Amino acid sequence: MNVIYEVLSNTSHVHLLLNHVPTTAFTVALVIFVIGLGTKSDVLRKAGLAMFFVIAGVAIATYTSGSAAEAWLRGTSPMTELPPHVLSNAIHEHEDSAFWATILMGLTGFFSWLSLWQWKTVRKLRSWSLPLVTLLAFAAFVTMSRTAYLGGHISHVEIRPDVVNVHNACLALLDEETKHPGSVPNATPNCPWQTAVDDVAKTTGEPAPYTSQARAVGDFVIGHTWMWPTLETLHFVGLCLLFTTVLIVNLRLLGLIRVVPYAAVYQLLPIGMLGFAINLITGMLFFIGIPNQYNANPVFYWKIIFVLLGGLNTAYFMLADDSWRAGPGVSAPAGSRVAAASAIFIWVAVLYCGHMLPFIGNAF
Amino acid sequence: MGFLQTIENLGFSQWVKQSGSLWAFPGILLMHTYGMAVLVGVIAGIDLRILGLAPAIPLSPLRKLLPIVWLAFWVNAITGSMLLMADATTKLTNPDFGIKMLFIVAAVIVQRLIQSRVFGDPDVDTRPFSSNAKMLAAASLACWLGAITAGRLLAYVGSSTGL
Repeated sequence: MNVIYEVLSNTSHVHLLLNHVPTTAFTVALVIFVIGLGTKSDVLRKAGLAMFFVIAGVAIATYTSGSAAEAWLRGTSPMTELPPHVLSNAIHEHEDSAFWATILMGLTGFFSWLSLWQWKTVRKLRSWSLPLVTLLAFAAFVTMSRTAYLGGHISHVEIRPDVVNVHNACLALLDEETKHPGSVPNATPNCPWQTAVDDVAKTTGEPAPYTSQARAVGDFVIGHTWMWPTLETLHFVGLCLLFTTVLIVNLRLLGLIRVVPYAAVYQLLPIGMLGFAINLITGMLFFIGIPNQYNANPVFYWKIIFVLLGGLNTAYFMLADDSWRAGPGVSAPAGSRVAAASAIFIWVAVLYCGHMLPFIGNAF
Repeated sequence: MGFLQTIENLGFSQWVKQSGSLWAFPGILLMHTYGMAVLVGVIAGIDLRILGLAPAIPLSPLRKLLPIVWLAFWVNAITGSMLLMADATTKLTNPDFGIKMLFIVAAVIVQRLIQSRVFGDPDVDTRPFSSNAKMLAAASLACWLGAITAGRLLAYVGSSTGL
């Protein structure tokens, strides 16, 4: 248990654990989904959509853990020392790519959810739903793969093109020296990677101030006094809309308004998803605005964990059919009542964590 | 001003504001936020239903949700008063607080009208909603949106800032 805690309390470990999901698991989901499209198999298409939805949630957690990993790497603020082999610009390039990849993956998750929702209602799947998801999923896949590649540049010096070039040049000089002894007077005796990194750092000099796109968005948020109150107000409105759905749908399954069939309250789900989308966007803008409020904030980690559980809970309702047996006046089966109680608990916990960010953690 | 100062100096007000206990300011504000989520969440569901969303849901069974709405309302009236006592001199003199109260009074009146005219109509589930019912639902949404906005801005507007 202590080992687990130690690993998880190092945010770099968390990021390294999570960051393989949006690339590898997403590849699996994409293959399943494309085979589903090709064979017109409902099961495979639904499985692909549900995986897109859940992986989008993990992508958000990955993004936030990446920011925490950078803070961990640099040491506690305001120190900005990086380990010797890490070039600052490599982190920024990775972060910007991650910013766009997370947005695309979020959109893929949202429209995957919408397709699953349409599938369950009496109305048919809209003609644009699956083509749109396919397009978004491929765009997300390409951007996320590029993010993974750029992320590799941060600590795998052996794949960084600029470092590889310097290293190869060094090896070529050594070759020359072996073939024609004495012909290359200044050849480096050997060519360790760190020497190549130092050479790159020396030739580029002080890293040029990289204009990070994610940082530009963050600076816009904190640079305008009206932004924070506006975002907070929207975050509260989104929270109420989320609770509209969470309360009415789940109280029905728990038996409060039993005369209303589940099929009817199911129509409320997009209102809750709209509220969640508002809160995801405003929440991410808070995060990008002042990441250090959340990077070392344990309440924030719990909030992300509960949001992921909320995603799994939602996926259950999108895939399981048992709730639909709750017709007019009919009690919901035990399984869906457990899921309904979990849903209320999870979102109450998410609100608790969000509220306690400034009081237990260090946010405001 | 002396009266407001007296309220703010009460032992309870001081405890809320300065004890640093999680049960004091953070806990009371948490209950206020839960109250808002339940109150506005459920009312927004009813309003949106009247405005035509989720047409398969019959309205009259939603009557059973009204006790939850009013429970949440009274939780917020009580927790709101507690928070107000702690900041009586600054919040009660803040015009934004007056605006919030106006929105809430209007929202409560609209809610009573929805309960008597829309829920009270025996034919509510057999006929389409009247334009009056839809006006009330839209007014209710607007009032709660105004109340949330004014309430959130209380932390930013006026002489004292807080969370």
